[in-house]
This record gives sequence, structure tokens and C-alpha cells, in this order.
Amino acid sequence: MNTARLWRLAKGNLQREVGALAVSAGGVALGIGCLVFFLALGAGLRRAVNEVFPVSTREVEVVVPQVALGGLFGDLKIDDALAARLAQIPGVEAAYPKMALRVPAVTRYNGLFFGHELHMGLEIIGTGLPPAVLAQDTKAPFADQGEDKPIPVVVNRRLLEIYNKVFAPQRGLPRLSENMLIGFQLPVEIGRSYVAGKTLEHSQETALVLAGFSDRAALAGISMPIDAVKRLNARFGADAQSYSSVLLRARSSEAVPAIADAAKRMGLEIDESERRSALQIGQAVELVTLALSLLAALITALAAVNTMQAFYASVRERRREIGILRAVGATRGDVAAVILLEAAATGLAGGVAGVVVARLAAAVLDWFAKNHLPDFPFKPQSFFHFTAAQLLLGLAVALLAALFGAFFPAQAAARMDPAQALGE
Amino acid sequence: MSELAAQVRGLSKRYPPREAGAPAQALFDSLDLDVAQGEFVAVEGRSGTGKSTLLHILGGLDRAFEGEVRVFGRALRSLADDELSALRHQQLGFVFQSFNLLPSLSALDNVLLPDAFGRGVPDASRRAQEALERVGLLGKAKARPAALSGGERQRVAIARALLVRPPLLLADEPTGNLDAATGVGVISLFRELHAGGMTLLIVTHEARVSHAASRVLVLREGKLTPGEEGT
Repeated sequence: MNTARLWRLAKGNLQREVGALAVSAGGVALGIGCLVFFLALGAGLRRAVNEVFPVSTREVEVVVPQVALGGLFGDLKIDDALAARLAQIPGVEAAYPKMALRVPAVTRYNGLFFGHELHMGLEIIGTGLPPAVLAQDTKAPFADQGEDKPIPVVVNRRLLEIYNKVFAPQRGLPRLSENMLIGFQLPVEIGRSYVAGKTLEHSQETALVLAGFSDRAALAGISMPIDAVKRLNARFGADAQSYSSVLLRARSSEAVPAIADAAKRMGLEIDESERRSALQIGQAVELVTLALSLLAALITALAAVNTMQAFYASVRERRREIGILRAVGATRGDVAAVILLEAAATGLAGGVAGVVVARLAAAVLDWFAKNHLPDFPFKPQSFFHFTAAQLLLGLAVALLAALFGAFFPAQAAARMDPAQALGE
Repeated sequence: MSELAAQVRGLSKRYPPREAGAPAQALFDSLDLDVAQGEFVAVEGRSGTGKSTLLHILGGLDRAFEGEVRVFGRALRSLADDELSALRHQQLGFVFQSFNLLPSLSALDNVLLPDAFGRGVPDASRRAQEALERVGLLGKAKARPAALSGGERQRVAIARALLVRPPLLLADEPTGNLDAATGVGVISLFRELHAGGMTLLIVTHEARVSHAASRVLVLREGKLTPGEEGT
């Protein structure tokens, strides 16, 4: 069987039946367009979720269980000894203890804020981290400078995004970039609270200086050098010995489950609140993508049925021609191959058209979102993420759908009695 | 006696009854035929006597028969479908009354049609040009069948049959759809092919075709009987 020579025959038939086959290709294009569009939408949304909830596959956060298990483990606390044991778990590359600021703190800002009058009071939630955790993201020194010195802090980038997209527009404040805020100082009063009865004696006025923005900084509140937090906790008589959690960095993502198991055997548990959020949203996106992809698959299946009808009609109309092919030496396989080549060309044309339609539709929707949707937090540049694998999958499904549709008509053509076909 | 191009012994073929309970309709009844290599045989007969069916059986297109049919010594009943295709491709040429050209292909591509199958045809392009030149249509190689006259279409069909230089040419009413003048040209072409050593078996109901043949047979009531001798 010489495919190139059979293709010459198929090409002639395609040109002659371009109208009918264009309808079949159009059906395939619709199905493949939907498939590629929804897959790219799902991938785009997953990418957006990963940006909002960046989940490291090499890190786990170990905390003391919230449910009291005193009878079993005693009064479990994460102290230096336990942190050291955690660091010794096989597969752990580094252990970073974290400590919550256990005394109240407030900031009051009255004055010009980048050219705008601002009057603001906030209760501060602080978490102490080893400087090494945030070393890559800080652009100013991030270490405790001691009493009466401003405390360097790092803020989560998502908070800046929320400020820029929600807070600033509502208050008529300017949008800010990270660089504009590095070195910015806020007055803070440690030991004071806006909650009645929580303010401590001898509160301390000092300042917070912004040292950087990081995805790894605490989402709720601000991150401070752990030595500063220890110092402040000790100054106000709060617990300055036990840690609120320990961030364990594994040597590889494969080691993470064993590390988590080892930590649990020590009576601790894994804080998966952020990871769970990312997973739940990711799973919701996956589910919706799957449902929409199934819809696209259904459209493609209908296109295959349409292709089948088109080729059955074509075979019926070409009975005599099929008889001629057999008379000049075509085998049954040759006859089937000619029809399948026509189907393959139809399917690929539909697949290419579908991919183009998907990309165009995505571009139109992105343009619409950019120009007509409000600028909400974490709004992505594009809601779509096209990959070569999606495009190849689209073309492969288009090819398979068309070949499946033409398979039975091709078999019918191959089984045709040549004498009867010529006699009609 | 020269080697036989085709040999038929005891050929019978029946069609299913038109009504339930009625007897099957017999088309051939123990028909015998020998065609020697290099012969030009014309089979005459009225419409419906089975001339085209006989040609289809000899060409391996119709396998629903009883008896023995051999083409160049090969029993057709024993050949698999692909072997029959190869036999048609390499040793048989067909010419039909209604030309049977593919409308989507040019005259040249119609002539090249057998090259698409089997192992192709050696030096097919040159042979196709020669075949078109032989039938006087090289100048219309790129024309589609719709742009050709009936006589030109039949000559393209003959050129197609000649591409593989088959030793046996089977023609079914080749002048049936042609006017008298055009028909004469086609008959003249068959004479040339016969003179060149090709075996021809033509079924026809036209006396002018039979006159060109070296032997004439008449198909009547399922039997072949000698007819009036041709040239």
C-alpha cells in the first residue's frame, strides 16, 4: 500500500466533497475548540490558584495539636529540644521554628500617606521567623536590632495585592509597589490593645520598618525576626521559650510524607490549612474542568457520528467509483485506506480549526476581562494557559474522532461487491 | 494450440428468485469457453443474456458462480480477494461501456489510477503519457472527464487499461455510448492492440465490433455458440 499515491486519490475526493466534509470538520472543530478552550481555562485557573496559594512540595509546617492530649503526651510544647529532634528526622534539610508575638500590639497612623491624609489604627498580629526563611525576599536588613530600634518586618505579597485592589480604591489611596514601601516605617505600640482589658502595663512605643515582601511571610499579620519576638515576649512576661510551629524543609518532595509521619509520631500534627485551601480550590477547578471537558468530548462524539453519516452518504454515492478502484486492482484495504485518509484530513482540518477557535475565544475573553471586569485581587493577566500538550491532545482527539466516524463506512466500502457496484 | 488466456468449464450462475417459492433464475448453464493468448474474441448477445456478468466473472469481480474459471492458468475460485486484486492489477485491463472515469481526477490522473495500488506501475508517468499519446489525447491530459466528449472519455478509459500493459483486455460494450464515427476509431484502436499481441475479449451487441474480432461467439440461453466469423 502506497500511502502517498492513495492520498492523491483521497485529495481529489476531498476537493470534490469539500462542502459536505466542511460540515463534518466544523463539528469536529467545535468539539475540539471547546476541549482545548476548557483545558486551557482549567490550566489558567490552576496557575492563578497557585499564585494565590503557593504551595511548596518540599515543606511542611508542624504544630502542636489543638485538641488537648495531655494525658498521652503531657503538656506538649515545641521547645528547642523538640525543634532539634524535628531537625534530626531523616530527610529534613532544615527546621525553622516560628514563634507568635504573644503580647498585643497596635499601630496608629495619623498623617500623610504617599500624599494622602490617612488615619488608621490596626491590631497587629506578629509572627517571628528565622531570617533565613525570608532571606531571598528581603531588601533591607531583617534581624533584630535590639531595644529602641525599629523592628524590621516582612509582609505577605497577597496583602499588598488586597491593599491595591480593595483597600486603596475604597479609601481613595494610591496603589503602591513593593519598592515604594521598602523602608517605610509605621509607629507601633507593643503591649497595647484596642480590646478592652488586654492592654499591658508599661507598653513600649517603637516602629516597624518594612524590609520586604514575600510569599512565605505569614498571611495573617506581619513577620518579624524571631529574636525580636522572643525579646518582646520575654519583656512582657509571655512565653518566650516554646514555638508556635516549626517549618520543616525536606531534601526532596518524595521525603515529605515520611517526615510528616515522623512528626505525627512525636505527637505533633501538620498544619495544612493553606495547603488544604489550595487543594480544595484546585480540586474544584479540576472538577469543573473535567465536567466541561466531558461536555466537549460529547460534542466531539456527536461530531464523530456526524462524520460517520457523511461518510456513509459519500460511500453510497461513490459505489460505482469504488467498483472502478477494485477493477483496476485496489484491494479492500486500499479502498478503506482511501476513505480513512479522507477522514484523517477532515479530522485534522477540524482539529486545527478548533485549536485556532479556542485561542481566539480565549484572547477575546481575556480582552473582555482586562477591559470590562473590575480589577479584583489576584486578577490574572490571562485566565488561560495553553500548552503544547493540550494542542497535541486536541489534534489527536480530532484525528481519532474522524477516524472512528469513518471506520464503519470504510469497512462498508471495502466489503462492497465490485460487480454489483459497477453494475449500478 | 497456444496457451489459454482464459478457460471456462461448466460455468453456471443463478440469481435468487424474484418471488418466494419461485425457482432460481439461471443465467449460465454449464457454459464453456476457451480464449487463446493473442486472440480477439467478440461475444455477442441481446441485453440481459449475461454478457457483462461473464466479463465480471472472468475479471474476478464476480465470485458467485459454479464451475471452473481459469485466467492464465489460475483458478479464480481458489484465489483470495487480495490475489484477485493483484491479478486484475497486473494482468487484466477493463474497458466499460460508461467509461467509468473518476470525475475528480484529470485524464492523466485517471490513466495513472492503477499506479495507486499494489506495487504501483514501473515508470508510470512515462507510460501514462505514452498511453494518452497512443489514444490521441496527450493534449488533453489535464482535462477533467466532464470537459471531454464521450469518445475522448472512452479513449482515456482505454489508455487507463493499457497503463499496466495487460496481456488480457476485457471490454464491456466499449462502443455502446459512442456515435458511429467515434466508435470506428475505438474499434481501430482495438485492432492495433490485437495486432500488437494483446488478447481481447469484448462483449457487444454491435456487429461492427464483432467484425473486427478474429472469433465471434453468441451468448444465448446460457450457452455460447459460434457466431459469424469476423476479420
